[in-house]
Amino acid sequence: MNEIPIILFTPLLAGVLAWLINLRGVRELIGVIGAATPLALLAKLYPSVVDNPNNPITYQLSAGGFQVTFKLGTLNWYFAAIASLVGLAMAFGMISTSKSGYDWLFALMSYTGVLGVFLSWDFISFFLLWELMTFASFMMVLKRNRHESLKYFVLSVIGAYSMLLAIALIYAKTGALDFDAIRQALYMDAMLGAIGRGETALIFVLFLTAFGVKAGAWPLHVWAPGAYSETDQSYTTFFSGALSKAGTYGILLLYILMGAKLYYALGTFHGHITFAYIIAWIGAITVVVASFLAVLQEDIRKLFAYSSVGQVGYILLAFGLGTGLGFAGGLFHVLSHAVFKGLFWLVTAAIILQTGKTEFKDFGGLAEKMPYTLAMALIAVLSLAGIPPMAGFASKWLIYEAAIQAHMPLVAGAIFLGSALAFAYVVRFLYAVWFGQRPSDLEDVKEAPLPLLIAMTILAIPNVVFGIAPGLVTNYLNKALGGNVVSGNYYKLVTQTGTYNALLVAIALVMGIAIAGLVYLYGAKTRKIPVTNTYQSGNPVTKEFNLSIRKNFYLPLAEALAFWLKYSFDRFYERVAQLSEDFADALREGFYNGNVQAYSWYLAIILLILALWGVL
Amino acid sequence: MNVPHISIYYFGAISLVLIGLYGVLVKKNLMKILISLSIMETGVNLLLISIGYVSGKSAPILSEGIGPTQAVDPIPQALVLTAIVIGVATTAMALSAAIIIYEKYGTLNVEEIRRLRG
Repeated sequence: MNEIPIILFTPLLAGVLAWLINLRGVRELIGVIGAATPLALLAKLYPSVVDNPNNPITYQLSAGGFQVTFKLGTLNWYFAAIASLVGLAMAFGMISTSKSGYDWLFALMSYTGVLGVFLSWDFISFFLLWELMTFASFMMVLKRNRHESLKYFVLSVIGAYSMLLAIALIYAKTGALDFDAIRQALYMDAMLGAIGRGETALIFVLFLTAFGVKAGAWPLHVWAPGAYSETDQSYTTFFSGALSKAGTYGILLLYILMGAKLYYALGTFHGHITFAYIIAWIGAITVVVASFLAVLQEDIRKLFAYSSVGQVGYILLAFGLGTGLGFAGGLFHVLSHAVFKGLFWLVTAAIILQTGKTEFKDFGGLAEKMPYTLAMALIAVLSLAGIPPMAGFASKWLIYEAAIQAHMPLVAGAIFLGSALAFAYVVRFLYAVWFGQRPSDLEDVKEAPLPLLIAMTILAIPNVVFGIAPGLVTNYLNKALGGNVVSGNYYKLVTQTGTYNALLVAIALVMGIAIAGLVYLYGAKTRKIPVTNTYQSGNPVTKEFNLSIRKNFYLPLAEALAFWLKYSFDRFYERVAQLSEDFADALREGFYNGNVQAYSWYLAIILLILALWGVL
Repeated sequence: MNVPHISIYYFGAISLVLIGLYGVLVKKNLMKILISLSIMETGVNLLLISIGYVSGKSAPILSEGIGPTQAVDPIPQALVLTAIVIGVATTAMALSAAIIIYEKYGTLNVEEIRRLRG
């Protein structure tokens, strides 16, 4: 019995059942079982995947005259396992946040779509499941906000058509849809050059558009902030944690399928492989732009949405470096971004569920009310900001090393800038929501419900475990990449330029906190005061001072950036849409004017043209 | 391709169609437009008839001394018979529409009717 179809279609089946039965309790149970099954089966298959890296588990299906192939190799397993981990956390979170069978149906449908994208080994199933994933996530957004879902839809359609065109071009040139066959054909063609330079570049650009839309790469990121915030926040865990990784997986696929062909066709640029260089720069710009925009947001959901776009930019950037270390760092960041950003969205879901508010100005002093959620938020903050010993540090460290080794100082600078900005926005989240003065209407906020806490724990554990023992991941990645890219043991990462001992750092950190705790307990003169009394030493706040961490905290930054903020792709696209609408209106009103004589003129003119042309 | 021999009939018929077309396109009075339509229709009918004409043959009625080989083409005549009826019917309907329009708007100028519309 082959496990792959079970892995793929249990979530979808569970989603349909949950939607049909739609009884409180039963619906949730079916949903969680459906979400947990892929993870359990993938865990069971782990030994056979690791032991036979060159002999992946294959499942073939013949449907409608097409041969459809699914493969579970080391790389596919890695992505699928991450998606199913996040999917399980999403299911637990949805028990608390979602009350409708509709949500369960489409959330689990997109889960199947994502798994299918990661396991497909030919373009038929890849494209079909890609569209299933897009459709289901679109339906999730559509229920809450039509305008944002429309934006998502239009960009997804652009991506889908680009991909379809690229697939058609590849099929026309090689006659193959199976990944192995395409890879072989394009590898051979790298030397032969039967496919011209222009066509290769066109296929590359089309694929880049398709995958860039899904990954939220600049300048195609405009759908992400709206779509991530205007949906069930537990679902956003999956949306931003796993679904956006489909785009980065696509970039990886680009390397696997046509890396050699692109290298020979497009050559090098200043000593870097041209096509990889383009990807790296798109990633770098995404990191900087999205991080700046994240800092300036006043809404928690928008902040994390932009942050998510920026963090996926890191992955693109790392893949764009094109070195083994770059891939290792990017793949590690796929994992750590999935777990820390998933955790962030669950924390956001808990906060919004318990308070009903989304903007920073309405929050404050929640630490006493929701201590467990605070602990989880702290783990996520440390991981995102790249503070050891969390998974986010290990992955970002690998990306830094890779960028420095690849001799791309400007790109490396973009990562540093992005990290500094990431720190700026998570600190604001941490302080504005959890500490300081508590607004009086938040007095009776309670801790998040148990399923949501379980969901957070599911994602918090990998953050800590892979942070203290990053070797667990890098050893697997070494196998997946087929070489000793990152050496070291479980606790220590060693590359050509540096060494990072996570355990040592963790011990130092724990000891430091312990010493600080001792000082706090015995040494400091402390006085217990209510949190409502700490703000501005009890004085009323005048208007000039009202630049609090809750409102317009980064206003000076916004003023400094005012010149650049004038240029916005959101506004640009809206203007293009408006222009085309106006143009169509002008056409319609000018020609379709209700004047019968005008229509007679059109008829006469067309007849005249046809007569002159010699048709009549 | 067989370019038909341009005779005076063709020229006259097409001229009538063009005159009618000119009236439909340019005139503002509804009655004049209807008159132009009628003229166009006449032109079309004449053109159809002249296409069927075979030089020196007589009417296609089988009688003493006139067989199928001595008659002009009967098909355009049947077509034109139909077209005349249709033309009269459409003209009658258009005229009644014009009467209603005049009662409703008090003018027959197409520009003004457009402005008054709605």
